[in-house]
Amino acid sequence: MSYDKIKVWLDLIQLILVTIGLWNMFPKFGISKFWSIVPFGRFHKLAQCADREEDGIGCMICVGLEFILGIVLRLCQQNAPELTRMINIVALAILVVSVITLVHYLRIYIGLCEVFNRSKWWVLLWIAIKGVSALIWGCSKDFQPVNSARLAAAPLSGTTEAATNEGLVVNITKRTAGVLFNRTTLLRDIHFTIEPGRMILLLGGSGSGKTTLVNAITGYEKAKAKITLNGEDVYKNFDKMKYQIGFVPQQETIRLNDTVYSTVEDNAYLRLPSSVDDHELKERVNQVLEEFGLTAAKHRFVSKQSGGMKKRVSISMEYVSNPDLFVLDEPDSGLDGIMARSLMQKLHNISREGGIIIVITHTPDRVIDLFDGVLVLARDSARTGRLAFYGTVDEAKAFFEKDTMEGIVQVINRNDEGGEGRADEMIQRFEEVRS
Amino acid sequence: MKSSYRGRLGQIPIYLGKCFRSFLYMDDWKMLPMSAVIAGIVSLVACQYLFVTMEGTTSGGFTLVCVCIWVGMFNSIQVICRERSIVKREHRSGMHISSYVISHMIYQAFLCILQTIIILMTCKYCNVQFPSDGVVFRWFMLDAGITLFLITYSADMLSLMISGIVSTPTAAMTIVPFVLIVQLVFSGTMFPLEGEYVKYLTGLTISKWGMECLCSIGNYNSLPMVSLWNQIFNYRNIEIGGVQPIRELTNYMQYTIADESTNLTVRDQFNLQVGQYNANPAYANTQSHVLDCWGMLILFAIIYAVITILILERIDRDKR
Repeated sequence: MSYDKIKVWLDLIQLILVTIGLWNMFPKFGISKFWSIVPFGRFHKLAQCADREEDGIGCMICVGLEFILGIVLRLCQQNAPELTRMINIVALAILVVSVITLVHYLRIYIGLCEVFNRSKWWVLLWIAIKGVSALIWGCSKDFQPVNSARLAAAPLSGTTEAATNEGLVVNITKRTAGVLFNRTTLLRDIHFTIEPGRMILLLGGSGSGKTTLVNAITGYEKAKAKITLNGEDVYKNFDKMKYQIGFVPQQETIRLNDTVYSTVEDNAYLRLPSSVDDHELKERVNQVLEEFGLTAAKHRFVSKQSGGMKKRVSISMEYVSNPDLFVLDEPDSGLDGIMARSLMQKLHNISREGGIIIVITHTPDRVIDLFDGVLVLARDSARTGRLAFYGTVDEAKAFFEKDTMEGIVQVINRNDEGGEGRADEMIQRFEEVRS
Repeated sequence: MKSSYRGRLGQIPIYLGKCFRSFLYMDDWKMLPMSAVIAGIVSLVACQYLFVTMEGTTSGGFTLVCVCIWVGMFNSIQVICRERSIVKREHRSGMHISSYVISHMIYQAFLCILQTIIILMTCKYCNVQFPSDGVVFRWFMLDAGITLFLITYSADMLSLMISGIVSTPTAAMTIVPFVLIVQLVFSGTMFPLEGEYVKYLTGLTISKWGMECLCSIGNYNSLPMVSLWNQIFNYRNIEIGGVQPIRELTNYMQYTIADESTNLTVRDQFNLQVGQYNANPAYANTQSHVLDCWGMLILFAIIYAVITILILERIDRDKR
């Protein structure tokens, strides 16, 4: 038997062994075993098991490239052996890609050793006889993942909020981002109902998915979810319902070269029904400016206003259509305590008129008495935003055994963020309390 | 009861208002004196023989086309990218992207008309000799005005498209030089371009169609070509056997009247005939050719605007 034939047989045996190994390994991480038979894609899944997603993508690309270059080389050698320079270049390219692939593999194998809590010497076996290693790690019951972030995350609740004709009902199964193999789950398993006339604080550490959540709720970035506002499906009727939803973004997104009045008036033209005549519209604009203390500055340029005034203009732009759901992303950032309180008081008063107000703020304690409830979002070990609590302010304090909202954030923040790293515990506990 | 909100047409006046307020309050009006300054400098330096000789028309016309492209591109290169987050927010509030872009198209057209008038007036003031008869309309200035406007407007729409594609003003300003270089190099005027694919690429540039149009309305093919005469004249002091044959020739050509009715000298007729030998069919002084060029420039502007709309429709996918 020639060397080539032996190599082909060995490659085939390795392929079968690796497939069997991964077929058994993937379920240990909650990944479908069918991924083991997906060419290229299975390397990405293996990297996910090793908590080395980025290397998975690199590895997938390199293996694909190596495969294509291999075909090109074979074709050149068979059909045009006189193209020696071309053959040499392709062979060199294969060599370079192989080195990069090996580096990615090394990182993935080291990651696997960490996840399975095994000696790093196993890496050598993985490189030398991948098929046998995969078979052992996949099929042996002694090889179980112990340090995987995927598995440390709190289990899903499986609950859903019942639909009502009043208020906001949120049932988010999942919100993912990215494409193909590189999909990341940003939010998962978030279910709550907010009754009309309530002002809710959305609390969570940096990167916990607060803005992603409000984008999903408002229908701006759709999730795998069912969101209803006063009985109407926000996603299905988004074109109609976007006028009933006000969203004030975190950044300053207003034209500075316009007057305060024109800024609010133009938004009124966009957001109010065309049946509202000019006289009514102008009256509404003036009323909103009055409510937010902007009347004196209405003919001045936005650029000449203070940070607090600009925030008020930004809020007025959305409030002019009197939305049923009003979401504000850090409306008090950059404001002093007195201005922040005055603004929050204003929002509190608006909520009493029957609307739902959700506020994200990083300094909630100075205005906590104005909120009717707290939604706590936490990032679990799989780095996914999950609901860690929803209830009144007092209930939140009791649940987290903390006196302040900052204390609550500290409980759910990771250790490397200066927190207690108890997000998974609190998510699970909240589900137990709820059920 | 189902409420209806302002549609695409209804939203255009809202954004037009914003654009014109921006013209007044955000110093957009400064684009007008800037175009006068650029046109003035260019007219004094490069447009002395525009519409007088073939060479002067080529270099002066090309310079004028470059001025229009430059002015047009700088009109709108930062218009969308500087307020991208605002556009995103307003789109969320119910703004139609098409209304937004169309209002910008109308506003930029207004700006380009003013700039074209200023450029033409500046050229006139700097003693550029314009022909009196037009090709499409009776007045040359109207033909020239429409041509310069369409060049400026197409470039304006091109930069509006770039402004819609990129996310920051810095990125937009980085791209502008490359686009300008492509327009200048592939116009086919200053550098000879050969090859089938290059021809297709040339056809995609505003400068090529603008240049063709300007030369057509300037009746390029009936203008004298003076470069050969100038070359001969430069060698008039050459002596062969104590005689200066070239001086004798040039003196004869310069001072001999060839046609009593037109008072043209031999030199003038020589230059005209050299010009006819070098006539360029792409610069044909016909109404249909000028209309074709205008059509291409309008088509470019429309295509760029449509691409801008299509790209901005995806603005919701912008990352934070």
